[in-house]
Amino acid sequence: MYYFDLAVTGISFGCMYAMMSVGLTLVYGLLRILHVAHAAVFALGAYVTVLVANATGSIALGFLAAVIVTPLFGMAIYRLLYEPLLKYRPDVPMIASVGLLVLMQDAFRIVFGEQGITFQRNAFAFKTFNFAGVTVSALQIAMVVTALVVFTGLHLFTTRTRIGIGWRATVSKPQIAASFGIDPIKVRYLNFAVGSVLAAIAGGLVAEMNNLVDPGIGFVVSYKALAIIVLGGLGSVRGTLIASLVLGLVEAYGTIFIGSWLDRDAIAFLALIVLLMIRPQGFTGARAA
Amino acid sequence: MSAYEISIISIIGINVILAVSLNMISGFCGQISLGHGAFFGAGAYAAALTMVGSGSVPLAIMAALLTGSLLGLAVGFASLRVRTDFLAVTTIGVNFLFVGFVRKQAWLGGEMGISGIPATGFGPVGNMTMILLFAAATIALSLYISRSWMGFAFRAVGEDEGAAATLGINSGAYKLAAFGIGTALAGLAGCLYTFFTQFITVDAFDFIFSVMLMAMVVIGGIGSTWGVVVAAVGLTLLPEAIRFVNDYRLLVFGGLLVLVIRLAPGGLTGMVQRAFLAVRRS
Amino acid sequence: MSAALKLDDVAIRFGGVQAVGGVSFSIKEGDFVGLIGPNGAGKTTLIKIIAGLLRPDKGSVQLSGVDVTADGTAARVRRGLALTHQIVRPFREMTVLDNVALGAGYRRTSSPFRALMHLDRRLEYERAAEIIAQVGLAGTEKKLAGSLPLGQMKRLEVARALAVEPCVILLDEPLAGLNHAEASKQVEAIAAVHAKGITVVLVEHNLEEVMRICRRLIVLNNGLVIGDGEPREVMADPDVHEAYVGGGMASHAEA
Ligand SMILES: Nc1ncnc2c1ncn2[C@@H]1O[C@H](COP(=O)(O)OP(=O)(O)O)[C@@H](O)[C@H]1O
Ligand SMILES: [Mg+2]
Repeated sequence: MYYFDLAVTGISFGCMYAMMSVGLTLVYGLLRILHVAHAAVFALGAYVTVLVANATGSIALGFLAAVIVTPLFGMAIYRLLYEPLLKYRPDVPMIASVGLLVLMQDAFRIVFGEQGITFQRNAFAFKTFNFAGVTVSALQIAMVVTALVVFTGLHLFTTRTRIGIGWRATVSKPQIAASFGIDPIKVRYLNFAVGSVLAAIAGGLVAEMNNLVDPGIGFVVSYKALAIIVLGGLGSVRGTLIASLVLGLVEAYGTIFIGSWLDRDAIAFLALIVLLMIRPQGFTGARAA
Repeated sequence: MSAYEISIISIIGINVILAVSLNMISGFCGQISLGHGAFFGAGAYAAALTMVGSGSVPLAIMAALLTGSLLGLAVGFASLRVRTDFLAVTTIGVNFLFVGFVRKQAWLGGEMGISGIPATGFGPVGNMTMILLFAAATIALSLYISRSWMGFAFRAVGEDEGAAATLGINSGAYKLAAFGIGTALAGLAGCLYTFFTQFITVDAFDFIFSVMLMAMVVIGGIGSTWGVVVAAVGLTLLPEAIRFVNDYRLLVFGGLLVLVIRLAPGGLTGMVQRAFLAVRRS
Repeated sequence: MSAALKLDDVAIRFGGVQAVGGVSFSIKEGDFVGLIGPNGAGKTTLIKIIAGLLRPDKGSVQLSGVDVTADGTAARVRRGLALTHQIVRPFREMTVLDNVALGAGYRRTSSPFRALMHLDRRLEYERAAEIIAQVGLAGTEKKLAGSLPLGQMKRLEVARALAVEPCVILLDEPLAGLNHAEASKQVEAIAAVHAKGITVVLVEHNLEEVMRICRRLIVLNNGLVIGDGEPREVMADPDVHEAYVGGGMASHAEA
């Protein structure tokens, strides 16, 4: 049953990675910027969730607050940092983004402490169920269900609503926005807002899983998300979803095989480097890096 | 000189070598590397093992130069494959991989690092002098390269590889050269660091340190040797001089990085140039 | 005597588009060839294949009798090829003089090691200044290349191409986007290039100029050669006429 347990772990992690990565791939598709500071948005989401949950006693309110605060933060990053840098080579906004991430991480440490914050009440997360010998935690179920709900909603939004259709078209071909009667600048804000909401939810869920938010919470995840969007073919949401699940599963099983000579977290880095070398344009997308 | 002053000056010398060598790769040749710490670390570990094994200073220096540049050339091949921002991502990955790998290696001391490394026998002042001499040599090399045809070609490759190729410049060869030279010097810095501390753990070579080095290059003015030297000295001294900066090091470095890119992409050098032009005009 | 440039059955496909579909021709030394055809005919693609910027799916490219199909652009330039880009690509952050001098120093930059051994740029600056004067850019030497108007940037492209002392020069729409006065200066510069004995391959939409200065025309349509020979005869060919009328030869404003 060990192998099934690993599958459950892998899939639930994959769902979390997917929510984290979609924002990144959207930003890349639209602006050709590697939005490394997305990890700071993720961390902010986690902090807001914990702080509000502890203050109000309701985890739901925590998530709600995170979902309201983070899109503002994401849009501010675009407006204040990226927009003025769009005229430079793509590595310029990327370095600025790294700077912002480092800054935010230290800011979290200074304000909330090195040790981080734990949930005062988080009983729900550790409830486990047993399905024919396979152990599943309530949180793993929550991760998968949330991801399903979020991505179904996103799918409906981008196929059923006018603004959603225009948005999707714009991401895949930025010059097209005008012909849909859509303001391309609004699309950018929408992009950052939606991506940030998803990252915040992922951040809140990871916080629950660890029962802890510490300053470094977004760091490794952000790098994995970069690996995922490359694997998924840069700018492709579907590719990103698949790649997220693949990485979740590879990590889960990979630790059995190479855990003795490499950190679990380093697997994603190794995968990304190998991937960039053999296929710089990703596996699914036709778009060139 | 107090022991404290000697150690600060030694660290400044090491950071100057690191920042100037990173500037050769990222400033001169336009290949953004956010993993310079890995080459620094590779040199440090190579030197530590050599010192433990043989106690020979020249051997340790050679081992560090070689290890740094071999790893650098391997990463340089990556630069032939991917666009600049993905190269930056690749180098971040190399840095994490280096740290993740060393942590699990018993023969490299794992989490505990390598301690009890034999002394060079030059004493603290001797070590400091050696470090300063190497730093001066690195600056001289950097100035020479930027004036030579190699520096000229680097600028072309950094600005537009395709256009460089139409002038007969083999971009790949130049990128490898930039990585080879820059990372060999990073390895050298690692070796000097090992001589200086006689005790290394992998945490000293992590990604955050690489970001600090990039901050020195960007704040000094990417591509300008003297600007980068000034920034490396200033940013090494800043946390020593100001308590606040020491406590909130990453906040300050990250913040400066963001502010400089956003408001003065030319860094200190660009600001000085603009002030100079303004004075001349008035 | 071997041909300056020889293509044998060159083809390339982008997804569903057969951009170049098996092109062969041979151009003799010192010739002045116009490569024409309607928009999307595959001219730029063919130029890029010759220059090594694109790798063909099949076929071979020879420069002065040497097969260079496997070589990169830089290596071909060292074998005597030069090109100008349809979309200008100067080093914007360098001065005009540096842009050209870098080309003039192609022997010094042949390997990083050799480049490291050389500091002196005086000779190259002298040669660059001569070439800059030849293309009519004298007086702009100290300006940043990025600050030039388009007409001058296009001449800078020609100057850089000349700097590498080519035997064959490929010019992709060097007149596009220029006003009348600028265009006639550019044509003068190109004629001077040919007068030096350099083989010229010119892609151009301005048929009037092409007919005036080219000695041979090769007409491309849908990636295939549909006409080849003396300019007046070629233009009289009904097939060529048809392709042009069908392809819309009025569209000069091509990206
Ligand atoms: N990189 C590319 N990817 C896909 N299709 C391309 C690419 N480059 C050119 N094409 C297509 O190949 C054909 C020939 O293009 P091109 O060589 O630019 O024509 P010309 O220069 O004769 O106007 C066109 O249909 C064009 O759309
Ligand atoms: Mg064309």
